[in-house]
Amino acid sequence: MGCLMRSAPLRSAATLCLTLSVLAHAAPPPLPAEHLTVQQLPPKSPHWVYVYDEAFNNEIDARVHLFDGDSYRRLGQIDAGFTPSVNLSPDGATTVVATTYFARGSRGARTDVVEFTDNTTLAVTGEIVLPPKRVETAPSLFNIAYSPDGHFLYVAYLTPAASFGVLDPAHGKVLGEIDTAGCVLVIPSGPNRVSSICESGRLLTVTLDTQGHEAARALSEPFFDPDRDPVFVQGIPTTRGYAFLSFLGEVHEVDLSGTRPAFAQPWSLVSPAEQGRWRPGADQVGAIHRALGRLYVPMHQGGEGTHKDGGTEIWVFDMPSHRRLASWPVQAAGLSRVLAVQVSQDPAPILFAASNAADVAVFDALSGKLRHVEKHLGQTPWMMLNP
Amino acid sequence: MRSLDHLFEHSSRSLARRTSRRSLLASLGQLLTGAALLPLLPVDRGGRAWASDAKSGGPETCEYWKYCAIDGFLCSCCGGTSSSCPPGTASSPITWIGTCHNPGDGRDYIVSYNDCCGKTSCGNCECNRNEREKPVYRPSRNNDLNWCMANADSNYHCTVSVILGVAEK
Repeated sequence: MGCLMRSAPLRSAATLCLTLSVLAHAAPPPLPAEHLTVQQLPPKSPHWVYVYDEAFNNEIDARVHLFDGDSYRRLGQIDAGFTPSVNLSPDGATTVVATTYFARGSRGARTDVVEFTDNTTLAVTGEIVLPPKRVETAPSLFNIAYSPDGHFLYVAYLTPAASFGVLDPAHGKVLGEIDTAGCVLVIPSGPNRVSSICESGRLLTVTLDTQGHEAARALSEPFFDPDRDPVFVQGIPTTRGYAFLSFLGEVHEVDLSGTRPAFAQPWSLVSPAEQGRWRPGADQVGAIHRALGRLYVPMHQGGEGTHKDGGTEIWVFDMPSHRRLASWPVQAAGLSRVLAVQVSQDPAPILFAASNAADVAVFDALSGKLRHVEKHLGQTPWMMLNP
Repeated sequence: MRSLDHLFEHSSRSLARRTSRRSLLASLGQLLTGAALLPLLPVDRGGRAWASDAKSGGPETCEYWKYCAIDGFLCSCCGGTSSSCPPGTASSPITWIGTCHNPGDGRDYIVSYNDCCGKTSCGNCECNRNEREKPVYRPSRNNDLNWCMANADSNYHCTVSVILGVAEK
C-alpha cells in the first residue's frame, strides 16, 4: 500500500493510512487446513429429479444428473455411455442404465451392459452384460423397466428384429429373450407381465413364468389409430397403468392392473376449435401427479410434423373431469420450448420443465409460480425421472 | 406420393414382421439384399424442435428440402455431403425412407435417410424435422432409432438424405 506523504497537513491522514495498512496485513487469519473427502448424499427427497442427458453432441458420453428441486443444487452424476436406456427401481433405491460401450472409446467391439447404481451413494454396484441387441433410441420409461415388484428387469431389444430380454437383477443374470413379433418396448405390469406396442395400434402382452420364460401371450384390440393419430411412446404412469398422448392431443388411458389391458374412452386435450392448431409435442410429453389427478403437458401451436417441437405453454388438466385447469406460458418466464416435464408426487409438488436450451425450470406445480431456472443442466436433457 | 409412401411403408413393415429372433439370419440376408437395391429404413435420435416449417435452403442448412424428416447431424457439415458420408465413416446398410418436396422443380422425391457410422456424433448442424415421421413402433417411419445399429461399429456420426427417385403421383 503506497502511503508516502511528505507535507505536514497530511500527517494525520498518513497515520490513518498506516493504521489501515497494518490492519490489512494483520487480518484475516489464515484459512485452516482442509481434509479431502468425498461428499455424501443427503437423505433422498421427493423433490429430487434424475435428468437424462443424451449428450447428443458427443453421444458416447451420456449421463444422468441428480438435481435437487429445493436447494437447486446438482447433487451428483451417473455415467451412461452411448444412447442409454435409463430407469429407476420401483423403490427408487437403484438407477438402472442399459448402455453400449465401444472397446476403443468411440470405436471397436461393442459391449451392451446393464449397470446398477446405488442411489444413496451414486456408486455403480453391479452389472449384467447383454447380447448386443438393446434398442438405441430416444428415451422413454419403456426402453428398460423393472417389474413392479422388482423381481424381473426387462430390456427392449431392436436389431431391427424386435424382442426383449428378461433379467434377474438379484442374481445378475440374463434369464432369456422373448420374441415380440415386431412389437416394441417393454411396458411392465403385475409381477410377470410385459406389454409391447405394435404398429397396428395394439398391445402385445407376454406373461412370464417364475423362471422368466414365456408362459402365454395375447394381442389386444387396437387402442389407437397409428395412421390417423399415432400415440407418443412416452407413456405417463397413472394409478392403474399409463396414459398415452396422441399427436393430435387425445389421451388414451390404459389400465394394466388386470391380466389384459383395459382401454378407457379417449378424451381430448384440445377443444374442437383448437384441434390441429394446438398439440402436444416434446421428448417427454407429459407428467401426472397421481394423487391429485393432475396432468401437465407441453403444448404448442403447429401442424403435422411438429410433434417433437417443444411446448410454448404447459397445460394443466384435472384427469377425472378432463377439465383444463390452467395454461402456463413458459416463454413468458424466459424459457425456450419445453422438451420434457416431470412432477414430484408429494403433497407440495414441484414441476420440472427442461427446455431445448438445456435449462431446467422449477415451478410450483399447484400455482404455476416459477421458482428457479437452472441454466444448462447438461447438454440435452430429454427425460426426467423421480422416485 | 401417398401411395408410394404406403408402398415403402408396407415393405418395411413386412420386414419388421419377418425379422423375428428365430428368423434373424434369414431376415438379415433379405435386409442386405434389399439394401443393395434400395437403402432401407433410416434414423436418428430424438431432439430439439427445428425448422419444422422450413421451405428451402442449401445442403448445409436444416431447411434444405431433402431434409424434411431428418433428425441428426447433417453430414454436409461434417466432411461429407447430403448424399455422402464423411471420410473414415461407414454408411448404414439399413435406413428409412421418406418423401420430400423439392420446391426447385416442384417434384416429390423418395429419399433414403442413411446414418454414417463408426465415429462419435459430429456435433455440427443438428437438424430435427419430422414430416410424416412416426414413433418407433413403426420403425420404417421413425427417425429416433440409431440406424447404425446393424453396423460392425454402431456408433452414430451423422445423417445423409439420398435421392432414390421421383415419387410419381
